[in-house]
Amino acid sequence: MKLAHLADLHLGFRQYDRQTPRGGNQREADVAEAFRRAVDDLLVQRPDLIVVSGDVFHSVRPTNPAILFLFQQLHRLRAGLADAPIVVIAGNHDTPRSVETGTILKLYEALGVHVVVDQARRIAFPQLDCAVLAVPHQALMQAERPALRPERGAAHNILVLHGVLEDIIDPEWSVSDYGSARLTRPDLAAAQWDYVALGGYHVLHDVAANAWYAGSLEYVNPRAWVQVREEASREVPGKGYLLVEVPGARTSFRPVAAARKHLDLPPIHGAGLTARQLDEQIAQRVAGSKPAIDDQVVRLIVYDVAAGTARDLDHPAIRQYKARALNFHLDVRRPEPQRVVGGGAPGRRHPLPDTLREFLGRRPLDADLDRDEFVRLGVAYLDRVGGEAAERAAGSG
Amino acid sequence: MIRPAEPGSPAPLGRVVATELKPATPHQFHFWTANETTIGIGAIVKVEGPGVGDQGPGRVVYGVVTDGFAYSDLATPLHDVVAAEGDPARAAESPSVRQEIRLWTAAVLRQQPEEPLQPVPLGAVYVASDADVAQALRMDAYVTGAQPSGIPVGLYTAAGLEAPVYLDADFLLGPEAAHLNISGVSGLATKTSAVEFLLASIFEHFPAHKGRVAALCFNVKGPDLCFLDRPGALDDADRRRYERLGITPQPFERVRYYAPFKADGVNLNTLRTHPDLVGDVEPLVWGLSEVLDFAEVLLNRDDIDAKADAFIDFLSDRVLNKEFDDGFGGSHRVQTFADLNGLFRAIFDGLELSGRSDMWRTHHIATIRKVRNRLSNISTRCKGLVTDDGPSSDLPWGRFEDRTVYVVDVANVDPLGQDLVFARAVSKLREHLERRDLGVEAVVVFVDELNKYAPGDGPETYVRKMLLDISERGRYLGLVLFAAEQFRSQVHRRVVGNAGTTLFGRMDADELATPGYHVLSPAVKIKLATLPIGELMVRHPHFTQPIFVRFPRPAVLRGRDGVERFPPAADLPFEEAVVRQLARLDRRIRPNQVKDLIAERRPDDVRRALAAVRRTRPDDALAYFRRMLGARVAPATAPAREAVPPLNPISEEPY
Ligand SMILES: Nc1ncnc2c1ncn2[C@@H]1O[C@H](COP(=O)(O)OP(=O)(O)O)[C@@H](O)[C@H]1O
Ligand SMILES: [Mg+2]
Repeated sequence: MKLAHLADLHLGFRQYDRQTPRGGNQREADVAEAFRRAVDDLLVQRPDLIVVSGDVFHSVRPTNPAILFLFQQLHRLRAGLADAPIVVIAGNHDTPRSVETGTILKLYEALGVHVVVDQARRIAFPQLDCAVLAVPHQALMQAERPALRPERGAAHNILVLHGVLEDIIDPEWSVSDYGSARLTRPDLAAAQWDYVALGGYHVLHDVAANAWYAGSLEYVNPRAWVQVREEASREVPGKGYLLVEVPGARTSFRPVAAARKHLDLPPIHGAGLTARQLDEQIAQRVAGSKPAIDDQVVRLIVYDVAAGTARDLDHPAIRQYKARALNFHLDVRRPEPQRVVGGGAPGRRHPLPDTLREFLGRRPLDADLDRDEFVRLGVAYLDRVGGEAAERAAGSG
Repeated sequence: MIRPAEPGSPAPLGRVVATELKPATPHQFHFWTANETTIGIGAIVKVEGPGVGDQGPGRVVYGVVTDGFAYSDLATPLHDVVAAEGDPARAAESPSVRQEIRLWTAAVLRQQPEEPLQPVPLGAVYVASDADVAQALRMDAYVTGAQPSGIPVGLYTAAGLEAPVYLDADFLLGPEAAHLNISGVSGLATKTSAVEFLLASIFEHFPAHKGRVAALCFNVKGPDLCFLDRPGALDDADRRRYERLGITPQPFERVRYYAPFKADGVNLNTLRTHPDLVGDVEPLVWGLSEVLDFAEVLLNRDDIDAKADAFIDFLSDRVLNKEFDDGFGGSHRVQTFADLNGLFRAIFDGLELSGRSDMWRTHHIATIRKVRNRLSNISTRCKGLVTDDGPSSDLPWGRFEDRTVYVVDVANVDPLGQDLVFARAVSKLREHLERRDLGVEAVVVFVDELNKYAPGDGPETYVRKMLLDISERGRYLGLVLFAAEQFRSQVHRRVVGNAGTTLFGRMDADELATPGYHVLSPAVKIKLATLPIGELMVRHPHFTQPIFVRFPRPAVLRGRDGVERFPPAADLPFEEAVVRQLARLDRRIRPNQVKDLIAERRPDDVRRALAAVRRTRPDDALAYFRRMLGARVAPATAPAREAVPPLNPISEEPY
């Protein structure tokens, strides 16, 4: 039996203010495009079973285009692979926080998709001699969790769930989602399953030979750069989904090309450089980018730049880069502050701005709010208050 | 505690004699007594030299009797034969009563004044009183005073007199000296009993200014230490001795028992399984990381192997609980023995496939094989102690309590596992004592059968190295070793040599013939070889000569009697054992509730849930247990496939 394992589609995710020709958010369209390409590939690969391990939508109230788009794509799959059951669970992003909210996911039951939103369900597929234990986010958040164990009756047992394994949580909560359920290895007991299809961690990751996070299909997290870094350091082949041979759990990765690249240009160390020299280096970095920065998502970090120097940079040139790229983030950083503003005890691991950044980074937001901007504003306000307080303290001291 | 010297001057019992052949020296003297005398080998006597008028009282010398002789004025044995006309029956009718003499040799315990050191004066010899015994043994220095630190060890008994003998806590438990060793033949030497008694004495008399003290006892033989909290039978003589020693004759108030499971993972591997008692036995269970911390122990049962040690270190530093790349394209996160096995397999397969070399990351394949074999050995041979992936359950490091005995029952554990328990427990003690966060200031570690763990010959092992290390450095840390063995000569010399205090019970004659005992006189050796049960010979830094004492039976139930009074329960079937353990935590739980819950669950899952309940001690144990097991999800067959209705295409592309 051939199983396709997808996760973290985050349809409806929006980012930056670039618009499509039709006036929609360009990144939202990118995310949809990635899924369309995955469906194209699935129709060629013809798996016997398709599972989606949560976070189909980026939010509980997804955008109308996202709802329509998913309907179209699932319909393509159902029509093209009539015998392949599709199991979809809700993740922490698309799980309603209260019962009255209801869930749009149920809509897709009309297409014969098995949608599991609140309680865990074990769905037996006699024609495949296979049972899928589908465990949505909600089921893991209850005081009494379901036992994540196979039961007798089926030759092949698949576990589908959405949550983060305690030992691979990244400390910055950027690759996995903050609100995800926590799991331990004994909880999973991977050895007892034919395959464990995990969702909730956005970079392809094996937990055991037969237990994987498929990763997201696009960078659907405000802090994409951490993922870019992790993909590079672990030599992950990029974004895509997994095809799994059961039994035996032989996996093969099906890459899905993204609509555009995330380019993290080599950082500049600005200490001792004048604004002119910095301008020159920035221009060099941009010119050296492969591919060119046009229509890509680009970041360039410049360390150790004093506030005055930053003011004197060639802003018209920077505006130009910004116009060319889909997003150009010139991340100019001040020299490391000696003093922690905000009254935290010295040596504390989380100065207040970081704590705030983390909090705002995970606070539920309306789908069409730009989280990056939201976080940036919040931290700026805090900075200002902190600066004033420090000035006052210096004045009275 | 010490009786004052009797008022008035008692009659002397003998007189010091010195001849050119048998002179009195500063350290030895001879005296004669009447034929009928109450003293014998081991008796303490006092010699009063003739007064020296204005210069104060004369010299006083205390000694202990080490040898005795009897003879008459016969020139040769032949004279006696002739007098009796060769018939022993007529010897008594011999007309003249021969002059007979009792001559004793005594070793000097103490002279007063100490300076100048002179030969023992030819004075009158008296039986020592309580106060004399205290003087003779220099106990006055630590039994009285502002901060007394005397620990009663037994009663010196001679000539109808009983005087308590005290050890100095500073020399028994550190920091001046420390450790205690006791040897003697099994079943007669009362080694185990003496240690039990002495622990009770320490708990009652450990001086307040020295803080808190606990004991960690390894039970290595049958039920020996399984009933320390139960009263044993004492007779009136014992009770009198307790009173005289100032010790309350009662069992230990606070005892905590730890035992590993049997291979089934639910029945405890101990003889304290009687339903009334098993409730307070805590399981001792370790996982891979606990084992790996001390894996050297397993390797070094035969000999120290630096290469294997290096590989073990590599495993615990770089592999355990980390994302690890095997170099053949596989990535591993090793948390359990099974994971580790996976890594080993990948390494062996990888090396074989690549056919490259016998080396993997600077480690030779033979070393890796050796480590793998030892590790898999322990997980199979000590199944109930070492869990593959379950949670561990350990001694309360950092929360040790004052005057508490922690008994770790390893009597039925494979020797490999015993070594492991031993090494890990002692190292943990050491670690916490060094950081001063164990919960007590001093710990007595009792190890029976020391010859097994620190043998005199054979290869250097990790456990022996560790024991040697405690014996050399433990006294500064408050880590004190009390060890027992049948044959002292079979134990590593420096381990016994570092024991500040040594006790001997009834000794084997062959053992006494070994070189370690040549300082003892033949008479003392004979006394040791025939020593009655309950008597011990004591060597202690303050005593310049070995002293014999009598100690009362320990006030605890003997192991042998314990298993009769509290017969161990038969092993319960898995389900029943789970019920029993849960019911212990919550009396409301009924067997069927538990059985329904665990029906068709995997034993590992049940064990893990049980361990979680034990660790958390929730108010509602059953509810918590159910939560830990998780709700079962029944299968439902997917409805028969219906073809997707041909939908009208949605009129527009959403994006
Ligand atoms: N102080 C004592 N007085 C009388 N009998 C004792 C005393 N101490 C121990 N016994 C008895 O001596 C026997 C052997 O004691 P045990 O401590 O087991 O010796 P070992 O550890 O040397 O084998 C036991 O039956 C015990 O009851
Ligand atoms: Mg014994």
